[in-house]
Amino acid sequence: MSSQLIRGLLLIAGSALVALPAGYFVASWVGWSVFCTGLGLQMVFHFRNFARLERWSRAPNADPDLEGQGAWDEVFGRLYQHEKDVRAQLARRDAEIAMLIAAGQALTDGVVLLDEADRILFCNTTAESQLGLAIASDRGQAIVNLVRQPEFVAYLQGRDFDKPLTLRSERVRDCTLSIHVIPYADNHRLLQVKDITQSERLDRTRRDFVANVSHELRTPLTVLSGFLETLQEIDVDPAERRRYVDLMAEQSKRMQTIVQDLLTLSSIESAPPPGTEVIDMASLIDKLRRDAEALSGGRHTIVVESDGRPDLRGSEPELVSALANLVTNAVRYTPAGGSIRVVWHALGQGAEFAVEDTGIGIAPEHIPRLTERFYRVDRGRSRDSGGTGLGLAIVKHSLNRHNAQLEVTSEPGKGSRFAARFPASRVAGV
Amino acid sequence: MNDTQHLSSQFDEDLARLRTSVLQMGGLVETQVAEAIAAYDKGDIASVKHIVETDRKINDLEKAIDDDCAHLIAKRQPAASDLRLVFGISKIVTDLERAGDEAKKIAKGVRRIYEAGQMPAQYGVGVRHIAEAALAMVRDSLDAFARLDVVLAEKVIRSDEGVDIEFKSIVRQLITHMMEDPRTITTSLDIIWIARAVERIGDHAKNVAEHVVFIVEGKDIRHPPKEAKA
Repeated sequence: MSSQLIRGLLLIAGSALVALPAGYFVASWVGWSVFCTGLGLQMVFHFRNFARLERWSRAPNADPDLEGQGAWDEVFGRLYQHEKDVRAQLARRDAEIAMLIAAGQALTDGVVLLDEADRILFCNTTAESQLGLAIASDRGQAIVNLVRQPEFVAYLQGRDFDKPLTLRSERVRDCTLSIHVIPYADNHRLLQVKDITQSERLDRTRRDFVANVSHELRTPLTVLSGFLETLQEIDVDPAERRRYVDLMAEQSKRMQTIVQDLLTLSSIESAPPPGTEVIDMASLIDKLRRDAEALSGGRHTIVVESDGRPDLRGSEPELVSALANLVTNAVRYTPAGGSIRVVWHALGQGAEFAVEDTGIGIAPEHIPRLTERFYRVDRGRSRDSGGTGLGLAIVKHSLNRHNAQLEVTSEPGKGSRFAARFPASRVAGV
Repeated sequence: MNDTQHLSSQFDEDLARLRTSVLQMGGLVETQVAEAIAAYDKGDIASVKHIVETDRKINDLEKAIDDDCAHLIAKRQPAASDLRLVFGISKIVTDLERAGDEAKKIAKGVRRIYEAGQMPAQYGVGVRHIAEAALAMVRDSLDAFARLDVVLAEKVIRSDEGVDIEFKSIVRQLITHMMEDPRTITTSLDIIWIARAVERIGDHAKNVAEHVVFIVEGKDIRHPPKEAKA
């Protein structure tokens, strides 16, 4: 800086040095004009640099051509450097912001950021589809202008965000949302929107299950207590009493089976994964055949198609009960004179166990729900035949634990086919 | 200088608040219509009472917003687009309130049908379909107002025609039913009333959309001349 000053002073002194003798020897106006010309040239030089700076300041950019001369060079250099740094910093910030936004977009929950007046600052695409927003046009719009459901508005204005709000989505059919408001930085708010349709549905299933269990147990219990009351209050003759006790025994047995099945189901659910000991399928199939014949009592034609190969790996008691369940179902639901075919064979890499009957069949709308607990196609009938409504649920669970799939095909009036497909990993000797 | 700045931003705030309260009322109407349709669908008489009660809230809101509009005009003397907005709002509110009334009518019709022990399921399927279309129109018209989106508003105006056509076909179908079996006349008439209310909701949604176009573009597009329509 001081060197520049010295240089400037030297130039002035130089012009004075030329001007003084000229003024002294020629004429004073000549001296003055020489001096002024010297100063003027300096001014022109500075003005050119100033003009360049002025031009640049209209549209500042990091142009390396931006160069000054003399005293200006350093100034221009620093400006250039500063501009370059600022731009680099901005680019870094932009990249950071873009990354944060990308992270926000990647969230599977919907996220909406609101300012202090509940106007939308940002929302990700999940929230856009959940709440029917479009960030391109809705930034700065009050969120209650677009999500207008009275419950939501009341929740947001209620300022009590301890519990999330459960909201039925208006924009997506049959979709339930859970909205959580999280306050942050000076009165800003973050809206977290979760799609809880699945867990809602699960909740309902569980509630239904409890209701079903209670119902199933209450029916026999009502019968029991009815007879007990009668016996307490009225003297009945021994024959009648005998009949009552028989009926009561029957009902209590029924309750026992239900509880037993429930216990089985829960023990299957909580048990560790089944082992991999080899099960002798030949003897298992043979046992199934004998059971079926005993249950049928000669009313059905029972055909077994199996050479006992391949063997399976898994828990024998579980598989025996599951497969036996399929066979007894077939016997139960096939009228006398019908035929039942039990097939065990290798299929592709795995193996298939199938039971085909010529029974009453199942209407297509019932098939997907068959394995639901207590689901009954025909309430009266299945209870008469001693079913608890849990059999197929147990079968499905046991099979799933053995990585097997239960496939049901059926035609009402013609018969059904229940097939359990085991994967290669469960087949022994592969 | 500072003072006028403050005043105008206060004015902006007033306008924003007015818009928000209109949309709140709209949200209430949307919910009413949706609930009325659900009640029809499921035969849920219990929700009818709730719908009828909520309608009173809508009426109160209409009065309050109209009042606010009058105050705003008197106090701020808005001009140009602001004036259009206030006028438009005052008209939108009227249409919304009427749409709310129609929702109430649907609910009451549902109660009549189900209390008489009739099931509209067999011949009332079409109603659910146009009801969903009308509900979508209400929703879109309010979205158009919130975003001042003329394109969406014009879409709503166009879709009204579909609702009208469907309404006519429902009426024709129900007339056939009534001729075939005079015992269904009472229920059929009730269903026609419900379908009629749904069709009116569509009309009100269309009106709201027209007001949105007026607010944004300053063009009154109601009642186009015959040749322009064709």
